[in-house]
Amino acid sequence: MRRRTPLAWANLTYERRRLLTAIAGVSFAVLLMFMFRGFENALYDSQVQLLKLLNGDVVVISKLKLNMFVPEQFARRRLYQAQAYDGVEQAYPLYTTTAYWKNPETKRIRPLRVLAFNPQDPVLPLPGILAHQEQLHLPWTALIDDRSRPEVGPTEAGIVTELAEQQVRLVGTFSLGTDFASGNGNIVMSDQNFLRYFGALGPDEDRRTLNTVDVGLLKLASGANVEAVAQALRNQLPKDIKVLTKAEFVQQERDYWRNNTSIGFVFSLLATMSFIVGIILVYQILYTDVAEHWAEYATLKAMGYSNWYLLGIVLQEAIILAVIGFIPGFLISWALYQLTMNATGLLMQMTIARVINLFIATTIMCLISGTIAVRKVQATDPAEVFGS
Amino acid sequence: MSQSMSQSMSQSMSQSMSQLVGSTTLETNSDPNAYAVQIRGLNYYFGQGDLRKQVLFDIDLDLLKGQIVIMTGPSGSGKTTLLTLIGALRTVREGSLKVLGQEIVGLSRAELVNVRRNIGFIFQAHNLFDSLTAAQNVEMAVELLDEWGDKRQKAIEMLSQLGLADRVDYKPSALSGGQKQRVAIARALVNQPALILADEPTAALDKKSGREVVTLMQQLAKQEGRTILMVTHDNRILDVADRIITLVDGRLETDDNLENFVNTHDPKSLDRRMFMM
Repeated sequence: MRRRTPLAWANLTYERRRLLTAIAGVSFAVLLMFMFRGFENALYDSQVQLLKLLNGDVVVISKLKLNMFVPEQFARRRLYQAQAYDGVEQAYPLYTTTAYWKNPETKRIRPLRVLAFNPQDPVLPLPGILAHQEQLHLPWTALIDDRSRPEVGPTEAGIVTELAEQQVRLVGTFSLGTDFASGNGNIVMSDQNFLRYFGALGPDEDRRTLNTVDVGLLKLASGANVEAVAQALRNQLPKDIKVLTKAEFVQQERDYWRNNTSIGFVFSLLATMSFIVGIILVYQILYTDVAEHWAEYATLKAMGYSNWYLLGIVLQEAIILAVIGFIPGFLISWALYQLTMNATGLLMQMTIARVINLFIATTIMCLISGTIAVRKVQATDPAEVFGS
Repeated sequence: MSQSMSQSMSQSMSQSMSQLVGSTTLETNSDPNAYAVQIRGLNYYFGQGDLRKQVLFDIDLDLLKGQIVIMTGPSGSGKTTLLTLIGALRTVREGSLKVLGQEIVGLSRAELVNVRRNIGFIFQAHNLFDSLTAAQNVEMAVELLDEWGDKRQKAIEMLSQLGLADRVDYKPSALSGGQKQRVAIARALVNQPALILADEPTAALDKKSGREVVTLMQQLAKQEGRTILMVTHDNRILDVADRIITLVDGRLETDDNLENFVNTHDPKSLDRRMFMM
């Protein structure tokens, strides 16, 4: 059995040059949407990438700590209390602060985020950190994030420079990446070194001890009900702390950036504008086809083809354009994601769900254009072909 | 006029009787099945309100099955309008218009589409899709009948009858004007419509291809007993007609068979009348 004459495909591919223009147009719209969505997601994803890597099932933070920016601590004894609960196996304290780092080459000062914990605890199980556990015990040593911004200077073991106006020796590197809270990059050190650097600051600065913790991580026994344990801790521990499951902790951070900054709005607006630009581009292309073949389409109507058939033809053209325009747009975006990631350290993630979402958006974009373009044919009176 | 009309009718009746089903049930002209088109008291207007202008006045016209009828007349006389009304391309409100036995006055747009599927349309321009081959253009018509299996075979058969057997896989840009018009005719005829409406089918063609095209149309119509209503200004092809009707200012003026038409119209005055604009 033979199939229906592929009129949509034939009309679309008959003029190669126009087809190429059309594909380029759709690809460009796809590219714009990918980039704006990518930046938006990167900003959110970057904010939570450290949170996602932290090794804990339940997270304890100060009641005042609305996001990672807020330098509020809670008493370490809460962690000891939590450790007494059924199902809680381990509790790890994580200390964070911001410290000035001197670029070893330019001698310029840059703020970095310091993450400190007992190197024996698997707080942040990154390969670079696990590999240098022993060296971290040495006094006045640290690891640096090799995905820090370039202003930080060279990131390699053996460099000696200043951190918080005191000498520091780098014993290795790890890979994390930057976000708004970390500024230029991250430093990892032992809790003992944290005390050495930040326990004896000047009178105007907040001295740090190991008695106040920024983030407490609870490791639960395998098989423990995370929700139930978190609920029990929430009900029974004093109310000066907040107990969150790891997913809630990540969500709180994400919500903060989504609701309290204009990132979401700005990038959604840009993505919507790309979508509309795409509709206009595809509409132009489809309309030209419809307008140039006006008499032929009207003849089909005279022969007995319905408006629905003609709508079908134009929508098929729209879907074909969406599919073959999406592929180059996707590939170019993917390359640009890599480029952006290397240049800025932002986390540009191309997940399957995001690709599928954008493909659906592209298809809808082309279908809207097709529906607008086809109105010209639908309004055509086939009687007008006579005597023209 | 009524005399000559009935004369031509009885003439063509005997023709169509033998060509049609060979049925003996068709005894009289009053049998509605003997007519492809029956028009009574048809009025048609363009525009609305103050701008409303009547273009067709009280048309009564019967087209017998199997007849080839040429409709002629000066420009603006309403020929094309009448053709599009018969072709169910416009909505009629006044009078009665039966096409292939079905009353189309008062039909909805969707119902009109169904009526059109039984009519073959041939236009002044060929209106073929440049992106499709000759065969594919013809197949587009076959697909309307939901016949998929042998659509290509049907298209090729039809194109071969029109002398295009070696051109079935050519695109229109590789065909001459006459060949393109023949593909358009194949598209109109492939579904074996009982009624064919043609609007100046030879206008865009030179003398030789125009003659070829019309002769082919005549042959195919006669073989299958189809009715053709053709609007033309082209005097060179009048001889294919069984009957010639003239429309002037929206009214049917003359209705003759070919001999009478030629006898009563001096060729020179005929020319002048027909090309007066």
